[in-house]
Amino acid sequence: MPEQGLRISNLRCRVAGNEILKGIDLTVEPGRVHALMGPNGSGKSTLAFSLTGHPLYEVTGKVELDGEDLLALSPDKRARAGLFLSFQYPAAIPGVKVANFLHAARQAERPGDLPPAKFRALLLEKMEQLGIDPSFMGRYLNDGFSGGEKKRLEMLQLAVLAPKYAIMDETDSGLDIDALKDVGSSVAALRASEEGRNTGFLIITHYPRILQYITPDVVHVMIDGRIVETGGHDLAHRIEREGYDKIREKIGSVV
Amino acid sequence: MSSALTTPAQTHALYEQLTAFDDTLIDADARRRALDRFFTLHSGHEKPGRFWRIDFESLLPPAGAIDPGAAQVSAEHRDSAIVVCDLATAARKYPELLARAFGTSEAAETKFGALARAFAGSGIFTYVPADHACDEPVVIRYHAGAGAAIFPWSVVLAERGSRVTVIERITADAGAFVCGASEIVSLEHADVTYAVLQNADSQAQILATRSSTPGRDSRMAWNVAEIGGALAAGDLRVAIEEPGIDAHVTALFFPRGSQHVDLINTVDHRAGESTSQTLVKSAARERGQARFLGNIRIAAHAQGSDARLRDDALLLSPTAHVDSVPALEIAANDVKAYHGATVGAIDVDQIFYMESRGISGAAAERMIALGFFEPAIEHFPTTTLRDEIRAALEAKLA
Repeated sequence: MPEQGLRISNLRCRVAGNEILKGIDLTVEPGRVHALMGPNGSGKSTLAFSLTGHPLYEVTGKVELDGEDLLALSPDKRARAGLFLSFQYPAAIPGVKVANFLHAARQAERPGDLPPAKFRALLLEKMEQLGIDPSFMGRYLNDGFSGGEKKRLEMLQLAVLAPKYAIMDETDSGLDIDALKDVGSSVAALRASEEGRNTGFLIITHYPRILQYITPDVVHVMIDGRIVETGGHDLAHRIEREGYDKIREKIGSVV
Repeated sequence: MSSALTTPAQTHALYEQLTAFDDTLIDADARRRALDRFFTLHSGHEKPGRFWRIDFESLLPPAGAIDPGAAQVSAEHRDSAIVVCDLATAARKYPELLARAFGTSEAAETKFGALARAFAGSGIFTYVPADHACDEPVVIRYHAGAGAAIFPWSVVLAERGSRVTVIERITADAGAFVCGASEIVSLEHADVTYAVLQNADSQAQILATRSSTPGRDSRMAWNVAEIGGALAAGDLRVAIEEPGIDAHVTALFFPRGSQHVDLINTVDHRAGESTSQTLVKSAARERGQARFLGNIRIAAHAQGSDARLRDDALLLSPTAHVDSVPALEIAANDVKAYHGATVGAIDVDQIFYMESRGISGAAAERMIALGFFEPAIEHFPTTTLRDEIRAALEAKLA
């Protein structure tokens, strides 16, 4: 039995020649929720793209997904291995209907597991849970969607694909409180489901407010491409009170 | 008369072949005059250059291939209130109706329209009486066998307040030469949709002139899908000579291998208070070459015109080439005119987004490219035709 978890060790990443990630060590265990917090420009989104295999990121180090060497895989194979990224800025793809895309994605990740009628029923069920209007299905993927609609669609994909590990990149940005609650309840619904009860989460966020709706087991703080502090839920509260400057001062005296 | 680019023997041989055509539709003099015009007119199509390999000015039908009986023509419809018949029958049974449309548009004013007129004989006439709504589309099929040269000519006359959809399907075998025309005349408040699916063999040459003169307060929609052919060249015109016209032109094409596509669309606003919308979607891969010239003209007195032109090209290989040339000539001052053009490859972030959902890069590229065409495909009539176009494009992406 290989060691379970999304195990990241000494992960470094360069973008256009600049080192953005300077050696990340982090393990997300199945069923656990990790929050990754940090100020803008600290490298949080770079970590998300490095893990999922964006072609413009040069990555070294080691990442294992339940024992599988993730960095050796192409982005689509990483997804099929069970990795999911909820994008901060999902790409718009005109002409590709949401329903067709979701079906293609489910088929790619779990070939033949659901006949079309059952898939449709699953979709409708998840859409109702998320308060998404069925007319969404006939719309072009993220094309002309509002910020809130895009995030809802990311949540719908999370629900439909039920990945082993989900990275949520600034899912809270640009959302009002109601939309934020919906994100929280869709994560809770996935965690309560048979398919999703072992899903591990890495929740990337600048602000602690989303953590009121998704309670993290572990909180990490990233500054300048390094994880500088790891703690429990109370670390998020401390950041809420003090901001990142206190932590920055503390590490400034060390580095 | 002879062009510098064709030899006297070639020119002579074409005039000789005119004698095989009778004067039911067009008399011998008119045929000769049309052929004269073919030799003297400049096509306006792309010139040979760094990417483009074909010279339209010396393009001729294959020697000796012209036979008045070569065109395989059929038409289907399910509406007994309309007339759908071949041109010879129309000339015999409905000469007055035919004369109100045939040869009245600008179809014969282009180089290849003149060639089509010189050898006109086969084709379909569609007549829709006043206030009649024809719910089922009329389907016209033109086919050229291997090495054949055909000159099919479609004529539609839609009376006041009528509605009709015509679907023209062009197929041709290797080495065929198709030089056709479609001519549409409609009256007040008519609603005509004319769709073309050209899916010829990749060794055929297809030249088409499409010309329409819509009536006052009418709607005219052209939907053209150029899929096949070593060469597909089209010259499409909408002459807006009345107010209240709502004109739509949609075209899509996708050259790959060594295919060449050259389309010239002209929407000519000569009367005010009319709207036109042109949407062109194209992709090219391998050594596929294309040019699109989109002319929007608004005459000085055509105030209140509203003309839109949108043209997007997707390059799927570094050796593929699409030249998009929007050309707006606006002489009036109280008009709306918009044009937007894009040429580019698929965005890496679009592919990455789909890959991050488990879809392979190749499958993502196919879905994105097909999706790119979708806004144009949606303008085509009937589910069957739309699905057929999707399948044809999908096959080109494989």
